[in-house]
Amino acid sequence: MLVLFSALYAIAALVFLWKKTCAFGKAEDLSTPRGSGLSGIIYAFGKGMLPWEKESVVKHLPTYIGGIVYHSALLTALLFIFWDMFLLPTTSLVLTALKILWLAGATAGFAMALKRILSPTMRRLSCPDDFFANIFADVFLVLAILSGSNPEWRTALYVCSILLFIYIPLGKIRHCFFFFTTRIIFGKFFGRRGVFPVPRREVKR
Amino acid sequence: MTEKTAGPIDSYMEKIENLGDEEIQTIIKALRSKLGVSEASFVNSCVRCGLCADSCHYYQASPQLENTPAYKLNLVLSIFKRYFTFMGQAAPRWTGARNLDQAMVKEWIDVLFGRCTGCGRCTINCTSGINIPAMIRAARGALAAAGLVPPELQATVLMAVESGNNMGIPTDEWIDTLEWIQDELRGETKDPEATIPVDQKGKKILYTVNPREPKFFPLSLLAAAKVFHAAKESWTFSSQYYDVTNYGLYSGDNSHAAVISGRLAKAMEELSAEILVLGECGHGYNSNRWSAPNWLQKEFPFPVVSVIELVADYISRGRITLDPSLNPKPVTLHDPCNLVRLGGVIEDQRYILKKSVADFVEMTPNRQKNYCCGGGGGQLAMSRFARRRIEAGRIKAEQIRRTGAEIVVAPCHNCIDQLSELNKEYKLNVEAKTVVEMVGDALVFPAKQ
Repeated sequence: MLVLFSALYAIAALVFLWKKTCAFGKAEDLSTPRGSGLSGIIYAFGKGMLPWEKESVVKHLPTYIGGIVYHSALLTALLFIFWDMFLLPTTSLVLTALKILWLAGATAGFAMALKRILSPTMRRLSCPDDFFANIFADVFLVLAILSGSNPEWRTALYVCSILLFIYIPLGKIRHCFFFFTTRIIFGKFFGRRGVFPVPRREVKR
Repeated sequence: MTEKTAGPIDSYMEKIENLGDEEIQTIIKALRSKLGVSEASFVNSCVRCGLCADSCHYYQASPQLENTPAYKLNLVLSIFKRYFTFMGQAAPRWTGARNLDQAMVKEWIDVLFGRCTGCGRCTINCTSGINIPAMIRAARGALAAAGLVPPELQATVLMAVESGNNMGIPTDEWIDTLEWIQDELRGETKDPEATIPVDQKGKKILYTVNPREPKFFPLSLLAAAKVFHAAKESWTFSSQYYDVTNYGLYSGDNSHAAVISGRLAKAMEELSAEILVLGECGHGYNSNRWSAPNWLQKEFPFPVVSVIELVADYISRGRITLDPSLNPKPVTLHDPCNLVRLGGVIEDQRYILKKSVADFVEMTPNRQKNYCCGGGGGQLAMSRFARRRIEAGRIKAEQIRRTGAEIVVAPCHNCIDQLSELNKEYKLNVEAKTVVEMVGDALVFPAKQ
């Protein structure tokens, strides 16, 4: 029950944070659009997320793949807690697949933490919250794997997930929500200006 | 902090050294006023993954921490967190929040003015899509509120505000230049009735230019006049307000930016023109097409288009005839960031060049993914950061060299200036020209009946 309450608290706190963000005020864009903001948003969450659309991803493909795996693992682990908590049925095949994903996610997470610690540029760029959030989420994934194999670890997983939910709105993990708002802003900005989605190569005349 | 001081007695540096609490409070207050929901959202989105680093031409040319977009962004975010967020106030060290003090202000000036052209390449490469230039511009604007814009850049802004154009060209000099260009136009077109109209009411187009054209590149004006003449366009210049540039975009000062762009809107109204046509100027396009209505808080009752869009339209409608063989040398195209990645004018210049030159070769990467030449963001005006600008331009120079082109075309006079400097520094042996100049050279005038 505490896990559920902490999750509800996290959602409520994120909503509160969004309200506070909105309080900064939204200026209406009075320029005449060339393209569609909606098309830009669709691009931002669709084609714009594909690896070849971004040079930064092409150059750092392992990091990109690691990031995708890491975040997928975290999302599924969080969802699985509730699935499991409400005693919903699952098959051993699904559980095995999830455990593999979580293991891959934890490995990617630790690799990212290591990169942040070892790279002088990344280290100087980071604040304590960056290291903590990364390692905290990694520990959560490890506990999810252990709990999936041995129910004795379940209490530890629940305690960790409660703490994680409490921490989400307080630290950098809040980007799990604000990533989407920023992506919408990105899509709308470039969509209105007709920059993205990428227009046809040849101007139709 | 800087590479070169602006003068023997640099009162600017003195001002920074003597910063008081009042100025600090002014900056914080101004920063708050410049941030909206978008910027506040960005604060919570940057995870400092560092993937943006390679996208920045400053970082590529000189891979140091201060040149990473994430570092630049976090200089602003750290202040935002410290003064406007609960966690930043409760646990500043934990969240990377920092106090705004004299050292921080110095770093802001050095990094936000001296290491960013606002090209937006980091934004399209950011995992989340954070508009880093928008945050940097907000911080520049906060510094502007405290009178801390580098004086060379501020002088350009004030010149435009006070004289009507950023080079302080007196009206009679402008008119003299136009009369001289008109004579040239008549000679080239062999039409004694060819004219360069000034202050003519009720014309379809009000044409605006970068003041560098009458001052240093009058042949660029001639090229545009030839194109309009060939297209039998109904157009006019304003004798007062013809400056397409707006360095308020770079200083971050919206009030100055509004005054400068507002004059073009006023000229449109006074001359009852239908379309505001912006000459070849990347930031002029971004300012007047996209930002000016917001600075002025009004929708424009007239369309604002780039001359590039207009000329592409002439070609497609058969209003002008071009002979590409008149431009036989290999040509490449530089995409000005403010016009292309931030402006959305992407294919028209390519269409024009394919019709007006014999050998067009793209540089790589191009279009939205192009590299900045290094001349944007007010860098050309800030002499104190000149060495960095040239070094950061090395990425563009290498791009140009790889194409093997003899002419590099850029639909932006600021880019042309930077490309010309890069040409000398990196011995590229190319000629820098504008799109309209290429069109002017390829124009075929039908024999007059």
